[in-house]
Amino acid sequence: MRELLIRADGLLRVGHPGHHAPTSAAAILSLLAVFGFLYGAVMGSYGGFIGELRLLQMLYSGMKVPLLLLVSFTLSLPSFFVINTLLGLRSDFRQALKSLLLAQAGLTLILAALAPFTAFWYLSFSSYPAAILFNGVMFATASFSAQLILRRLYRPLIQRNPRHQVMRWLWLVTYVFVAVQMAWVLRPFIGSPGAPTRLLREEAWGNAYIEVVRILMRLVAG
Amino acid sequence: MLKAIKQLDDILRGEATQPDLLKQGRIDIPISGLLLVITALGIFYGACMGAFSVIRTGGGLWMQLVASAVKLPLLFFLTLLVTLPSLYVFNALVGSRLSFGSVLRLLIAMVGVALAVLASLGPIVVFFSVSTTSYPFMMLLNVVMAAVAGFLGLAFLLRTLHRLVRVQGELARENADAASDDKREQPADASSPAVGPGDSDTQMQAKLPSLGDEPARPGQGAATPPRTFSGALERDEVETDRRARMVFQLWVVVFALVGAQMSWVLRPFIGSPDMPFTWFRDREGNFFLRVLQAVRELLGITGG
Repeated sequence: MRELLIRADGLLRVGHPGHHAPTSAAAILSLLAVFGFLYGAVMGSYGGFIGELRLLQMLYSGMKVPLLLLVSFTLSLPSFFVINTLLGLRSDFRQALKSLLLAQAGLTLILAALAPFTAFWYLSFSSYPAAILFNGVMFATASFSAQLILRRLYRPLIQRNPRHQVMRWLWLVTYVFVAVQMAWVLRPFIGSPGAPTRLLREEAWGNAYIEVVRILMRLVAG
Repeated sequence: MLKAIKQLDDILRGEATQPDLLKQGRIDIPISGLLLVITALGIFYGACMGAFSVIRTGGGLWMQLVASAVKLPLLFFLTLLVTLPSLYVFNALVGSRLSFGSVLRLLIAMVGVALAVLASLGPIVVFFSVSTTSYPFMMLLNVVMAAVAGFLGLAFLLRTLHRLVRVQGELARENADAASDDKREQPADASSPAVGPGDSDTQMQAKLPSLGDEPARPGQGAATPPRTFSGALERDEVETDRRARMVFQLWVVVFALVGAQMSWVLRPFIGSPDMPFTWFRDREGNFFLRVLQAVRELLGITGG
C-alpha cells in the first residue's frame, strides 16, 4: 500500500527534479487499476445516497473505469503505432507508449482525488441527470489535468523531434473519440434509480455521438 | 511473409526511401512480397468494414463480410491501375527521370502505407460496428478513416517524389560540374547556376543512374545510348522542380478523387442492414452526393 502511494506521488510530480515516475508496466497498471476502481466504486454509490446502497453496482462501476481506459487505450494503439512509424518516430515509441500509460494512470489518480466531491454531490443533490452531468465534469477535469502529466512526459520527446507534438494531438483525438463511445457502451456507471443493477444495459447499445446530435437537434428544433 | 512485413516496415520507417538510396538510383522496394502483405491488410480492413452488416443482421449477411474483404484490396489496386498511366506520363513530361517500373513501385509502396494505416484503424471500426446501429454513422466513420489513410499515403508519395526531384537536381548539378571540368572550352554553358539540362544533357544522362531500375545492372548507363532530350516541357532546373511539384500535387488530388469514386463504384462495403446482399449495386449517384446525404441523415435524426 505504502509502495503504491509512493509510486502515485512520484507519478504526480514527474518531471520535477528528484522524482521518478514508476517505470515497470506492472507498477503503472496497478496504479491504474486501484485508483480507477476507487473512483468507479464511488461513482456507483449513487443509490446509497437516495435510499438503497447497491454494492454490486459499486463493484461493477469500479471494474468498468479501468476497463474503459484500458480498452480504449488498446483500440487506439495500432493506429498510433503505425502513424508514429510513418513520421519517423519509431525509435522513441517505447518511451511514447510509456508516457501515454503513465498519463492514463495519472488520470485515475486525479479521478480518485475528485471522488470525495462526487460523493458530496450525491449527498447534496438527488437528481439522476445532475449526477450524470457532475460525473461528466469530473471526468473532463481529470482528463484535462492528466494532460499536464502527458505534456511533461512528452517534453523530452518533443525536444528530440517536434513531430511528437503532432502525435500527442493525434492520440488525444483518437483516444477521446473511442473513449466517449466506450463510456456509452459500458453504461451504467452510476445506476439509474428506476433500473435494476446490471453489469451492462440491456437495451440497444446505441451510439454516443448520435445521441449528442439528437439532443442538439432537439434543442435547435425546439 | 515475415520478410514482406519487414519490407513494409522499412517503407513505413522511411528507410526504403532515404535520400542516399534514391541518390544511388534505387527505390528499394521489392514488389512481390509487399503485394502479399498489402492484400492481407486490405482483406483485414475489408472484413472490419463488413462486420457491421453481419452484426446488425445477427449473422445473416456473412457474404457481405466476404465481399468487403475481397473488394477492399481491389479498390486500391483498381484505383492504382486507373491513375498509374497518368502519373507516369506526367512525370516523364515534366522531366523527372523515374522509369515506369519505379513509378509502379512507388505507387505500390504508397498503397502499402495507406493500407497499413487503414488496417491499424480497423479495431476502432469493429468496436463501433459492434456498438452502433446507425448505418449513416458507420458510413461516415469509414469515410473518415479512409480519408486519414489516404491522406497519409499520398503524403508519403508526395514526400518521396519531392525527395526524388531534389536528389535528381543535386545529381544533375554534380554531374554538370564534372562535365564543366572535362570540357573547359565551354564552361559558361554548364556551370551557370541555372543549369539547363537541355544543353549539357548528353553528358549528364550518361552519368545519371536511371532511378528505380535494378541497382545491380553493371554498365547499364553506358549501354543505353544517351538521350538528347529529357522532357518536352523542360526549361531550366528550378522551373522543372517547381513544375514537377505542381504536377505531383495535382495528381495526388486526382488520385484521391478517383479513389473515392472507385469506392462508390465497388460499393457496398459496409452493407445496409435493410438491403439484401449484392456484390455490386446499380450505377447511380456518386460518392460525394452520398456522403452529403449521410451527413444529412445523421443530422436529420435517423437510426439510433
